[in-house]
Parts: sequence; C-alpha cells; structure tokens
Amino acid sequence: MGRQQGWFAFILALAISAAVILYTNGLRLGLDLRGGSQLTLQVMPAGAIKQVDRQQLEAVKDVLDRRINGLGVAESTLQTVGNDQLVLQLPGEQDPSRAAKVLGTTALLEFRAQKPGTEKQMQGLLTLKRQAESILAATRPTPETPSPPASLLKAADLAKAMAPLGIKVSPTASEADQLDQLLNEVNRRILSLYGPPLLTGRDLTSAGRQQQSSGNSWEVTLGFDRAGGEKFAGLTQSIAGTGRVLGIVLDGRSISEATVGPQFKTAGITGGSASISGNFTAEAARDLEVQLRGGSLPLPVKIVEVKSVGPSLGAENIRTSLLAGSAGLGLVALFMAVVYRLPGIVSVLTLSLYALFNLAIYSALQVTLTLPGIAGFILSVGMAVDANVLIFERVKEELRSGNTLIRSIDTGFSLAFSSIFDGHFTGLISCLALFFLGTGLVKGFAVTLFIGLALSLFTALTCTRTLLRLLMSYPGLRRPTNFLPARQLPSAL
Amino acid sequence: MACTLSLLGMVLCWLNPTIAAPLLPGLDFTGGTQIQLERACAPGACSALTVAQIQAQLGGLTLPQEGQDRSPNLSSSGVQLLDAGKTVVLRLPALSPDQGRAVVDQFSARLGPLRTEGTAINTIGPTLGSRLLQASLISLLVSFAAIAAYISFRYNGVFAFLALVCLAHDVLITCGVFAWLGLLRGVEVDSLFTVSLITVAGYSVTDTVVVYDRIREQSKSLAQLPVSEQVDVAVDATLTRSLYTSLTTLLPLFGLIFFGGSSLFWFAVALAIGIAVGSWSSIGLAPTLLPLFSARSAR
Repeated sequence: MGRQQGWFAFILALAISAAVILYTNGLRLGLDLRGGSQLTLQVMPAGAIKQVDRQQLEAVKDVLDRRINGLGVAESTLQTVGNDQLVLQLPGEQDPSRAAKVLGTTALLEFRAQKPGTEKQMQGLLTLKRQAESILAATRPTPETPSPPASLLKAADLAKAMAPLGIKVSPTASEADQLDQLLNEVNRRILSLYGPPLLTGRDLTSAGRQQQSSGNSWEVTLGFDRAGGEKFAGLTQSIAGTGRVLGIVLDGRSISEATVGPQFKTAGITGGSASISGNFTAEAARDLEVQLRGGSLPLPVKIVEVKSVGPSLGAENIRTSLLAGSAGLGLVALFMAVVYRLPGIVSVLTLSLYALFNLAIYSALQVTLTLPGIAGFILSVGMAVDANVLIFERVKEELRSGNTLIRSIDTGFSLAFSSIFDGHFTGLISCLALFFLGTGLVKGFAVTLFIGLALSLFTALTCTRTLLRLLMSYPGLRRPTNFLPARQLPSAL
Repeated sequence: MACTLSLLGMVLCWLNPTIAAPLLPGLDFTGGTQIQLERACAPGACSALTVAQIQAQLGGLTLPQEGQDRSPNLSSSGVQLLDAGKTVVLRLPALSPDQGRAVVDQFSARLGPLRTEGTAINTIGPTLGSRLLQASLISLLVSFAAIAAYISFRYNGVFAFLALVCLAHDVLITCGVFAWLGLLRGVEVDSLFTVSLITVAGYSVTDTVVVYDRIREQSKSLAQLPVSEQVDVAVDATLTRSLYTSLTTLLPLFGLIFFGGSSLFWFAVALAIGIAVGSWSSIGLAPTLLPLFSARSAR
C-alpha cells in the first residue's frame, strides 16, 4: 500500500504544480479566438534565384521586421514557416490592409535620368498621365463624396487617347479599368525613356517625411550616404537646365518626375539630401518612409493568405467551444458513472486531472490554442476515456470468471495495456504526419491531439490505477458490486 | 453496398461540370476570399435581405486596383444568409486586403449598418490553395503507410493489410457521404476535412487493433479451434468495449456538433461518421475477412 500512497502523493503534487503553471502562465489564444489578423507572405524567386532557401528567407524577414517596427504595431509576431513563407500575426488588428501594403511591396527605389533626345515624347506622356490620374481621383469614393459619378469622360475622347498607345479596349470595361490600363501603358513608355538606375535605395542613410509648404500633400525626404550624395550630385548635374527629367521609380512605377534648374549646371544638387513630392497623403508618405528605412526586400513577396477575425466573433468561438466541451465531457462522465459504477467515478476524477494536465502543458509549452486545437483537445478526451473503458471491461471480465477483486484489477490493467498502447501509438503516428506535413490550423489540431494522447497513456495507466488501488484500501468500498451488477457475478463469490 | 454508394457519389461529383472533382473543394483548396459579416440588428428583427439583392449590390461595387491586375467582377459571388439573416457570408474571388476592406465598407454603406467586431475576412491565394491540397494528400498517404508499417511490425502482414482495408473502407465511406452532401447540399471540404480523415484513419486502426490484440492473445489457449471460431470468440469478448469506446468518443463529438458553432460543425460531423463507420468495420469487417486471408496464407 505504501507504494500506492507514494504515487498518490506524486499525482497530487503534479496536479498542484499544473494548477500553479496554468494560473501563472495562462493560455495563449490563437487569433481565431481573440480576434486579430494574420497574413501569410510567400517569398517569390526572382532573377537568378530559382529556389528560395532559408538564408534568403531570413534576409527577407530582417527587412520585414524593420518595417513592422516602423509601423509600430503592438504585440505583432513574424515567423518563418517552411522554406519560403512568413506568417505575420497582428492580434487585435481588424484591418490588415495597411500592413499588407507596407509589407507586401518590394520598395525598390531607383533614381534614373531621362535619355537625351526624348523630350517631346516625355512631355506628351506626362501630360496624359496627369490627366488620367486626376480623372481617376475624381471617380474614386472618398469620405466627402462616398458615391462619385462613375464616368466623367465621353467614350470617344477616351478612345482617342488610347488609340495612339496601341491599347485594345474591351467594350465592357468600366471607365476606371480603361484609365488604369492607359496609365499602365503610359508608365511602361515613360520607363523606356529613362536611362539605367544610377542611384538606388541602398544609398540611403535616412528617410523622413514633411508636409509640403503649399497644399495638404506630403513629401518624403531622403538622406544619402557619401557615395550616394556624390552620385546624386552627378546625376542632377547631367540633366540640369536641359528640361529632361529625373525619374524616381518605385517598384517599377515612375512615382515622381522632376526637372533640375540651370543653376545646378556646375556642381549638381549637393548636400546629400533630396525629397520626393509625389502627391502623397500623410499615411502614404509615412508608409513609404517606413519602407525606405527598412530597406528594399531582396526578393519580392506575395501575400497568399489573409485572415482577420473580429473580437466578438473570437469571443463567440470561445463561448461555443466551452459549451461544446463541457456538454461532451458531461455526457461522457454520466456514461462512465452509470456503466462502470465506482471505477467509472474514479475515471471521471482522473479525466478531470487529465484535462488539467493537458491545459498546464499547453501553458508551459506556450502552445497557441486555436479552434481546431480545441477540437483536438475535446477529441483526445474522448480517446482517453477509451483507455479506461478497455481496462474496466477487462476487470469486469476477470470478476465474472471468479477472480478476487484486487486480482481482477491488476490483471485488467496488465492485459489491457498492449491494446491501449498500440491504439495510442497509431494515433500518435497520425499526429506526427499531420504536424510535419500539415499547415497552420492543421498543426494546431495535431499538437493538442498529440499532447492529449501521450498524456492519456500516463493518466489511464497510472492515475486511474493509483486512485482505484487507494480506494480499495477502504474495506467499505472493496465490494465487487461496486464494479458490476450482482447478477453478473459468479455465485461462489 | 455503402462503398458502392460512396463511389457513386464521388463519380457523380466528378461528372458534375460545376464541381469536376470527387468532392466539392472549399476555399482552402480553390483559393478565394470569404467574408463573414454581422448585421447590427437583433436576430429575427433584421430587415429582409435576399441573396439576389446582395448579389446585385456586389456586382455594382468598384474595388481599388491592385498592382497590374484587373479588379475582379463580383456579380457571380456566392452569398449565404445565416441566423435568420443576421449573418451574411460572401464567397468571392481572391481579393487583396484593401479590396476586402472596400467590400465591407461599401456593403455597410449600401445594405445597412454592420457590427464591425463581428466581421471575419479570410483570403487564400490560389497558389496556396493547391499547395494545401498537395500537403493534405501527402499527409494522408504518409500516415496510412506509417500505420501499416507499425501494425505489420507489431502483428503481421495480414493484420496490417486488413487494417488498411478497414481504414480505406472507413475513409472511403466518409468521403462518399461528403460527396453526396456536396452534391445535394453544397457542403464543401476544407483542410479540416483532411484532418478528420487522418484522425478517422488513426481511430479506425485503434479500434481494429483491440480485436486483433484479443485474437492474438487467445490464439495460444484456443489454438485447436479453427480461425473463424477464434475470431468469433474474440469479437464476442470485445464487442461491448468496441461499442463503448466508439460511444465515448462520439459523445464529445455530439457536444461539438450541437453546441460547437458553425466553424467546427462539418468537421465534427465528418469525425462522427468516420468513427461510427470505423466501429462497424472493426467489429464486422476486419474479423470476417481475417479467416479468408489467414486460410490462404496457411495453405
């Protein structure tokens, strides 16, 4: 009996420490339970790189980490997944569109001088660009004009502008779509008039923003390092007074075109600083500043998954799964107590211990609990009961064949062991497959089910047995009728 | 019989031009955007809103353009009304976060106030979708193979083969039921469905193992009996516990089905079907097949 009491003390100590862990660490809830946004970014191979590897992924992560810090989002986490994916979690954030914009673009900044002899073409393209942009801006809904007119142009005028650019217009396309198409083509042509990039975002040491002296729009200020400052001076000197423009190109789009006055003919613009005035709103200027400070991405990324869950929806998910869990467990407890009597009640006790241990392990290992994770937990409880059923059926069988109570219990446990072990082991195999090959939510399910199965081997074989043996030391409880109905007992007993 | 029906369901699904796959693939596998909106009104007291009305509104939305891509046309999107019109679920082509936001804002402006805390947006890019599908199939096959390897190590090849037959039977029927559900009710399968299949597979083997373990254990004491009678004795002895273990696993699942909310409903249903079928196959199918195959291997 001494050994049983030793085990009992051990289990009690475990239960207390589990409760303490759970109380101090708490549980980490996934975004589907607490509300928030999650973005999955895939790093795309580009140029000479055909296959993204770990090192490149880390390089991309470094840049994105700096950008996220620049955005100042509380509690966000960025983790690498596999060889080419990154997952950004923004707890509490319901609108991931800003983060998506700032993180999803490469932010490759280039300064390029216009080629000589293309002045006339450039003039025409820039005029077209300004016109198209202003019409598009007028048709876009804003807080002041929530439903602007869908069309401002005569179809014939638009067609006349498009024709020389060689754009085929589908008759069903909306005006906005057609203008977008026009702008893309104009941009492509402007780029072809630029020389090679002589100065890039790599030459920057700082970036900032300021409101322009006239109007509401913002500009982004840049500071170059020494080499960059010299390149900028050379670049501006080469076009000063010629009427050719200096193009500022961001991710393959010409965002600003500036002429340089004749007074810079001798030395170019010196001082190592410049500003981009591309008609930015306050937010757009800040986003670009954050991107330029963080540096451009070594490889482009694509947003492949976006999830956002409102906080009340998360709370609802917690409520329903708590309800489902307690209803399911209540039914199981009732079933066990009715079918197996005393040991059934013992198993309900061990199941409560089991649930406590499970939660404590989640808390200690910092497992993030998601909705499928909770399903895994509920299911593992069902499977943990299985082990008890197998044991108690065996015990009943031994009792029916006339064995004494204590002996029946011991044989029951040892005979049921091999099938319990095999069953749990195959379950664990499935979990491993799910964990290593599955993604995201699937992993959450695999983790909780795995912990549950491994733990159930311990609680079913140790806790149930110890409690049962301990109760058997009280003569009042040591009656076979506590295990099965009297009519099923052999009369000899 | 059940297997034939299941296969028939999957074939019909495949022949159906709008599905063209054995099961109706959900957002996880096809890619797309799902937006769930909660209207700011008491359940039952919401102003009437029809699917056609919402579709018409969606068709008229203008979305911000994203890069070089054309913004998608939303007029043929799927619309579902839940909780007496309080909750609206939209199924759209894959949208950028900006565009998703625009849909929510414009919907709110045109079709009445929304409770923003109850909004959920879920976008899965098409490339990720096909990746998820691949990962799901691989994890299914790998777990089957690993389970078979373990059983043949612990028992023998015939047991492992039969356990796999049972497992395939359980998985097939679960798929078949969902093929029919997909055909008749438009129920989609997602990556959680794969999870349920793998769990069913693991569970089905667990159940079968209990019977096999018994057969092996008594094969010493009952060696003089023919295999079929040994099997009968083992099934008899394990019948109650097989039923009870399935029942104790089904009970928490019923909790999930009835109280777990919509996100886990079909997941729990798939698990419940698989476990119920698995319990039948381990009592009825695996033991009946065993004498057939052991006789052959003994000869």
